[in-house]
Amino acid sequence: MRKVKAGPDGAALTADMSPRRLKARRRWRRLRENHPFLVMLLPAVLVVFLFNYLPIYGVLIAFQDFMPGDPILGKYTRWIGFENFTRFFTDVQFWPLMKNTFLLCIIGFVIGFPLPIIIALMLNAMKGRRMSKVLQTIFNGPHFISLVVLVGMLTLFFGRYGLVNNIVAGLGGERKSYFLESGAFRPLYILSSNWQDFGWSAIIYIAALSNVDPGQHEAAILDGASRFQRVLHVDLPAIMPMISVMLIMSIGGLMGVGYEKALLMQTDGNLGVSELIATYVYKQGLTGVPNQGYATAIGLFNSIINVVLLIIANTTSKKFSENSLW
Amino acid sequence: MSVKNSAKRRPPIRLGFGDKVFYTINALFLGLMALIVIYPLYFIVIAAISDPDAVLGGKVVLYPVQITMDGFKRILQEKSIWTGYLNTIIYTALTVVLSLAVTVPAGWALSRKTVPGKKLWMIYFIIPMFFGGGLIPFYNVMSSLGLVGSMWSVILPSILSVWNLFMTKTFFESSIPDGLVEAAKIDGAGEYRIFTSLVLPLSKAILAVMALYYAIGQWNSYFNAMIFLQDEAKYPLQLVLKEILIASESTMGGSGETILEQYRMANQIKYVSVIVSSVPVLLLYPFVQKYFSQGVMIGSLKG
Amino acid sequence: MASLTLRDITKVYPNAEGGQKKKKKKHQVEEPGKEKANLQITDEGVVAVQKFNLDIADREFIVLVGPSGCGKSTTLRMIAGLEEISSGELYIGDRLVNEVAPKDRDIAMVFQSYALYPHMTVYENMAFSLKLKKTPKDEIERKVREAAEILDITQYLDRKPKALSGGQRQRVAIGRAIVRSPQVLLMDEPLSNLDAKLRNQMRAEIIKLRQKISTTFIYVTHDQTEAMTLGDRIVIMKDGFIQQIGTPQEVFNHPVNLFVAGFIGMPQMNFFENSKLTNDNGVYEVEVMGKKLRLTDSQQKALKEKKQGPCNVVLGIRPVHMTIDEGDFSGKIEVSEMMGSELHLHMDAEGNDVVAIIPTVGIDLAAHSIGKTVKFAFRPDLVHLFDAESGLNLL
Repeated sequence: MRKVKAGPDGAALTADMSPRRLKARRRWRRLRENHPFLVMLLPAVLVVFLFNYLPIYGVLIAFQDFMPGDPILGKYTRWIGFENFTRFFTDVQFWPLMKNTFLLCIIGFVIGFPLPIIIALMLNAMKGRRMSKVLQTIFNGPHFISLVVLVGMLTLFFGRYGLVNNIVAGLGGERKSYFLESGAFRPLYILSSNWQDFGWSAIIYIAALSNVDPGQHEAAILDGASRFQRVLHVDLPAIMPMISVMLIMSIGGLMGVGYEKALLMQTDGNLGVSELIATYVYKQGLTGVPNQGYATAIGLFNSIINVVLLIIANTTSKKFSENSLW
Repeated sequence: MSVKNSAKRRPPIRLGFGDKVFYTINALFLGLMALIVIYPLYFIVIAAISDPDAVLGGKVVLYPVQITMDGFKRILQEKSIWTGYLNTIIYTALTVVLSLAVTVPAGWALSRKTVPGKKLWMIYFIIPMFFGGGLIPFYNVMSSLGLVGSMWSVILPSILSVWNLFMTKTFFESSIPDGLVEAAKIDGAGEYRIFTSLVLPLSKAILAVMALYYAIGQWNSYFNAMIFLQDEAKYPLQLVLKEILIASESTMGGSGETILEQYRMANQIKYVSVIVSSVPVLLLYPFVQKYFSQGVMIGSLKG
Repeated sequence: MASLTLRDITKVYPNAEGGQKKKKKKHQVEEPGKEKANLQITDEGVVAVQKFNLDIADREFIVLVGPSGCGKSTTLRMIAGLEEISSGELYIGDRLVNEVAPKDRDIAMVFQSYALYPHMTVYENMAFSLKLKKTPKDEIERKVREAAEILDITQYLDRKPKALSGGQRQRVAIGRAIVRSPQVLLMDEPLSNLDAKLRNQMRAEIIKLRQKISTTFIYVTHDQTEAMTLGDRIVIMKDGFIQQIGTPQEVFNHPVNLFVAGFIGMPQMNFFENSKLTNDNGVYEVEVMGKKLRLTDSQQKALKEKKQGPCNVVLGIRPVHMTIDEGDFSGKIEVSEMMGSELHLHMDAEGNDVVAIIPTVGIDLAAHSIGKTVKFAFRPDLVHLFDAESGLNLL
């Protein structure tokens, strides 16, 4: 096949062709030469199509009066426009859900975003390299604990006869099951998330810090900067671009909190604060009498908020600094 | 004494007072963090091997009390845990094999400049990172694919993470020199041959990282199994654990005495099951943590 | 073994958006430094190689040489098939190969970075291409051993490239290229990663290698010494254009323009700008630093044939062709470099930087120390005259 273009007649072939035909032929040849790459891409494309793009198409049911088992576009599809959305906006649950989701996300973000940066800066500023490595290993550990085990540990520690209550009782306090207390949900949720992931989230900053030119530090030392001043004036500026990118990303994912964890932590006692948009979607759509069109509409509303937040964050960042995702 | 003065007399090795304070506070704080991280894990271990009454009575704080292996003996009889274990091992193994087969070739292809329509493919893969159909449409797709109730509902959706795909791509871009690929081309290798004889043998690091990422992800996941699997015989470990560890708390009411009794019965098994389920990951962790952080760093090269 | 023909080979890099952005950034960084290649930019993009025409004979050793960014590597990569040819025709033997994949061109290439397969032993590295061609095992064995013998790397066959020194890796890279007895052997700056001593040694090896294997060589380098010592013919390039093609003698003795004159020869040729070519009743003279220099008869003849009128010229003379302690000109010594057998004198002569290389035998070093003023001269038959405007050689 490949050799067809060779041979003595090849000369005539190229010489006689118009530039446009030449271009088209060249494109065709490139495609033929590079088609193995397309074959290598195919499985991934297929998986993403099935599990990511088909569901995006399935979002149409948010605008339908949909019963499980119906085709998405069928003869009897009843389009109801934004009815599901207006129903959600007027749902008594709407404001509590918005409040629960936003508060959990924002408090979580305010604590969870700077903590890894501080830890990374501190680890980087440690005197002993080896000690710093050991600490990193320790800090990364909890990341590999599964959500189920993490929440299980929480129930063990904060249950009525758990370690915390034992200590409280020992000090003369009163035992209570923190899982049934609505006031304890957010602190437990956020602190345990940070406990699990602060070390892991710090890695990316540590990597960025390890790329700082040691010459910069040496120059600063000669200029008389203390270690703390070097953290502020050498290290921190060096990871600023990374911080911006991570900031945009986490703002974009702000509303996509780990509902899997919230679901595990929910009890009758704390439902008032632990019910989030996403857990509500799960309950409306997949438990009890399924209400799929409605649940999809709520989910879509949530994703749209996310995309809008992402765009706002990115545009703002672009305006004020050079860093942006696109 | 300022830094400048001491630096003048001796090389900067000698620390100024301010720096000494800084290093001390820094080390103390990080040490405290390490304690906060380690203690709960340590407590789980000592609680699991202590007498359950001592644990409940608050006597176990710093060291195990009346060491006993009863918990471990009892968990051997918990059949559901071991079925879950076996299921999880099967699911994880299949996920790893399939995900590598999907992610690595695609990552290689995306890292080549000559792949036709490269920009379009990138957009195709980026969109799902930021926008998705949501839970219900996903469930419906799985349902119309006939996967609900089958173990493939747990495996197939996990075999490609776009994050991992891009990480693989970045790895290839940064660690396989163009010259090598060109040399192979001139030596007469086609694209498939280049991939199998050159790229794969040189990518053990990324293969290891990806395998571990996917494995840990699958090992720790429960949600897909919870919504797609009805048959308890197919439950993965995490779902079994969920029943053991969590389900009871909210339903527990009644008088203090019965609660205490229930606690006594269940408590030890909980501590033990946390250990048993996390052992594979924890055993692996110190060996692989280097690779894990490498993975994150590969991902960060792009930024 | 094959002849090669390049007809109007041109390479245009389309103005991709990303490309432009990158270029801009690079420019900002590099602008204050050394001057960047001055590539022509057309509507279609940046022209990296412009209408490259060359006929290469069977078994010839051709060297492409020029400063970085001149298009020499791009040309080589187009011959290899690693870059697409934007327009023009490339023949290997009688076969048009523009659209032939690299592996079907019957070429081999030695890369600057060696590009050895790190996971294979030396033997496997060398055998790889033969294996892909489904060569029988015993024949692979024979060919690899033969090539290893030629390059003296037999004792390393079982090692991985990592365990080899730079020079040894270089030999393996060459070995990998020659086992398949290619029609054309392409070498892309193969010696530039070696230190000076090894480089000289390997250069000699390549000359020897040439005697042992019969194939056409195309060799890219930025080092004019390599070009002069290795090439049957040298192709000097700049900004995507061929400046001159010729034997080492030709390009040294008759550089076609100022660029070639300055590029070939170490130290660089001395240039006297602001010189004038005068024609006084049919007799050509050059006025340099106020002194008149009568040209030789053959030079007169050459200029007459061209009907050259009086004009501003740049006079060039190679440092080795200068004599000192006599003559009409004088300069102040600024730097005196004692190189052992010869002395390099850097002088300032009325604002011109002049370098003279003189043998040290019987010379009074003290009289040629820094700050001293010395007389110098040069033979008219060894001067080069370049048009001040076009830069072309007038003789």
